[in-house]
Amino acid sequence: MVKDRIENLLLKVKSPSRYIGGELNSVVKNKSDVDVRFAFCFPDSYDVGMSHLGMKILYSLKNKRENFWCERVFAPWVDFEQLMRENDIPLYALESLDPVKEFDFIGFTIQYELSYTNILNMLDLAGLPVKSKDRTDDMPVVVAGGPCVCNPEPLADFIDLFIIGEGEEVNLELMDLYADMKKRGCSKREFLEAAAEIEGIYVPSFYDVYYNDDGTVKNVVSNNPHAPYTVRKRIVRDLDKVFYPESFVVPYCEIVHDRAVVEVLRGCIRGCRFCQAGFIYRPFREKNSDTILKQTKNLCESTGYEEVSLSSLSTSDLSAINKTLTQLSDYTEKENVNLSLPSMRIDKFSGELMEQIQKVRKSGLTFAPEAGTQRLRDVINKNITEEEIMQACRLAFFEGGYTSVKLYFMLGLPTETDDDILGIAELAEKIVDLFYSNPNRSRGKHIQISISCATFVPKPFTPFEFEPQASETEIKHKQKLLLDSVRSRKRINVSWHKYSVSILEAVLAKGDRRLCDTIYEAWKLGCKFDGWDELYRYDLWLKAFEKTGVDVNFYAHRTRAYDEVMPWQHLDYLVSKNFLIKENQKAREGITTPNCREKCSGCGVSKCIGGACFGKN
Amino acid sequence: MEKINLRARFEKSGRAVYISHLDLMRTMQRAFKRSKIPVWYTEGFNPHIYLNFPLALSLGVVGRSEFMDFAVTEPADFDKLRDSLNGEMPEGLRILEIFEPLYENKDVGFADYMIDFYSSADSCETLFLLNKMLAEDKIEVDKRSKSKGMIKTDIKPHINVTETEPCDGFLRVFVRLPAGLKMNINAGVFTDAFAEYSKIEFSKIYAERTKILCLNGQDFK
Ligand code: SF4
Repeated sequence: MVKDRIENLLLKVKSPSRYIGGELNSVVKNKSDVDVRFAFCFPDSYDVGMSHLGMKILYSLKNKRENFWCERVFAPWVDFEQLMRENDIPLYALESLDPVKEFDFIGFTIQYELSYTNILNMLDLAGLPVKSKDRTDDMPVVVAGGPCVCNPEPLADFIDLFIIGEGEEVNLELMDLYADMKKRGCSKREFLEAAAEIEGIYVPSFYDVYYNDDGTVKNVVSNNPHAPYTVRKRIVRDLDKVFYPESFVVPYCEIVHDRAVVEVLRGCIRGCRFCQAGFIYRPFREKNSDTILKQTKNLCESTGYEEVSLSSLSTSDLSAINKTLTQLSDYTEKENVNLSLPSMRIDKFSGELMEQIQKVRKSGLTFAPEAGTQRLRDVINKNITEEEIMQACRLAFFEGGYTSVKLYFMLGLPTETDDDILGIAELAEKIVDLFYSNPNRSRGKHIQISISCATFVPKPFTPFEFEPQASETEIKHKQKLLLDSVRSRKRINVSWHKYSVSILEAVLAKGDRRLCDTIYEAWKLGCKFDGWDELYRYDLWLKAFEKTGVDVNFYAHRTRAYDEVMPWQHLDYLVSKNFLIKENQKAREGITTPNCREKCSGCGVSKCIGGACFGKN
Repeated sequence: MEKINLRARFEKSGRAVYISHLDLMRTMQRAFKRSKIPVWYTEGFNPHIYLNFPLALSLGVVGRSEFMDFAVTEPADFDKLRDSLNGEMPEGLRILEIFEPLYENKDVGFADYMIDFYSSADSCETLFLLNKMLAEDKIEVDKRSKSKGMIKTDIKPHINVTETEPCDGFLRVFVRLPAGLKMNINAGVFTDAFAEYSKIEFSKIYAERTKILCLNGQDFK
């Protein structure tokens, strides 16, 4: 029994309740009563993974089926991993505490590139070979889904099959197929072939990649009659009808987002050109206010959480936002529950909404203008004007009593010049001036503005997939320029993400299969938890690049031609490449594209789903 | 709003021993919320369920008779309250009884522990070393002091071993230690001291807090 063996170790590690399961609402079944066991792995720590909504949805969805048992697995933090390795404790699942090696499926959800090495590490900790080709028929099928699998190529060697798009339907289809084939005693290969015929399933070993002399991809061809030429992502049609959990597993220790979460919409109408989520989750679909209220009640009652938050890419784009917020706050106020609203867009910051928000939000104001000038905001299609930002701030300062503002920007955006950087500082200074122009400001109150800058990372399936990432020299220059141009040093603070992290993100996001060796090498050298500053080892990554002959410039800093075959070209995320090219051209000309609710721009999604995205033609 | 102060005696065992004190507070608050009993909320800007633990329990120690204070806004049947709460308790937490508090936090004076020291050593030999330690003039341990950092403290006068029982594979020790505001010695301080003194590599130390007592020697309730 793993349990007795880990109990002795738990008192030696940080936050041991993460490793022992038994949390409220976790699902325990009898393993002899189920046909398929699924180990749902989040390749990061418990605190991060337990905050992730997609995992909660799929966990409940699978466990609702009597013959399936889905359990949770997280990457043990380094202190516990070391003890596990020293004491020969294999990676185990939290519900049964059984080794995941005994499961039918091991499934990873991949939310960010910096978790890739953790996937290898977890497979290894499970006692499994990390490469698919070395895993035999008696070992679990290793699957992966999540936003990063829109370019799964850098992980092609490690994962048996990828689940492309939304998982609610396809996961069950896959597990049903497995249950049936397991009974009939089929081989893993037979299963993979049958799975490849399900829409949304991509089996990388059934495809060969050929390269041009210049190193770019020539083409990707299927080498198995069961594997389609392109794999199209899955979507669910009706968000009011799709499964949503009635309860969440409630952790003992504090996690990143420790609250009930209700997903209110999927997709985004905005089409910001840098934003991968805005393209890969199309089309926009929303829940009606009654569904949202019902799901909020269910979750609050089953968890006892004191906070509920609405989740989406842009909550203020909900058609019935005012009605929804009124209904919800009626309930939450009565029940002493806090309602939190991330992802509110500022152009929707009306007085009425402000009032609603103020009732429920005590934290500071957050805006993401992303770029410092209107010109550049037009390039990236972030349709926010300075006037709108100032208006929202005025409302927040003069009526809301806010004293802090967080501003998010990106550096290194396509076509960016020094003027755009100066614009960031100017905007912040204007906000400071606005604050002090308030005649009713109580004396002694001051404004604190924090400017947080990320380095722009071009991502697949966006109009910027063709764009190079800015070099380190360029970014350093921009950072210095920004810092030098801030005058109110006391009121405005500037911070930025590590550049070496962004570059790794760019390489992994836009990489091809040749990066499998690099990731393997980096992991062998000791890379893991790359998303954690204290554990990030760019020096080891550099070694891995060198050893595997990977040129970072080729992947991250090269402009890709419109007709270049992208490593992910055989995956179909419904948005057409022609549209991405058109958007890229418009970006270069500084022309904006209206949002989907205003006007359909013909990205290709509606054609694929057979009808208009908003129910009208 | 009416506020009726109540005290719950509860048990913390099994997987729940890994819940830290801070996390226990949150866990209990959520259980209260789910149970829908008429629990009293603090007043003010950010109302939350009022809970107070007269004596914290260290992570990893089983609690057989722990206490937690809360309040309700209307009179309620104690057994029914207990049952409603138990319907919402996660694995390892169980309310044993609910009553009106007799003593105050500051009355807490001692706690009884049952501790099993597991090792490959003969448990009679372990006992011999324990007795030897207890016969020393002083048992010094490092204690954190607010003003002076780490300081050496003699805990010998405070350790009251009431019974010992050599068993197969482990030595069972019953010990009473000072607890509460004035002087507090956790079971861990005692077990660490013994581990260091005996130089035995214990494969496992299992500790249960069996009782909390007042300064006057009465059972806390
Ligand atoms: S088809 Fe039109 S409405 Fe639908 S997502 Fe594309 S641009 Fe938007």
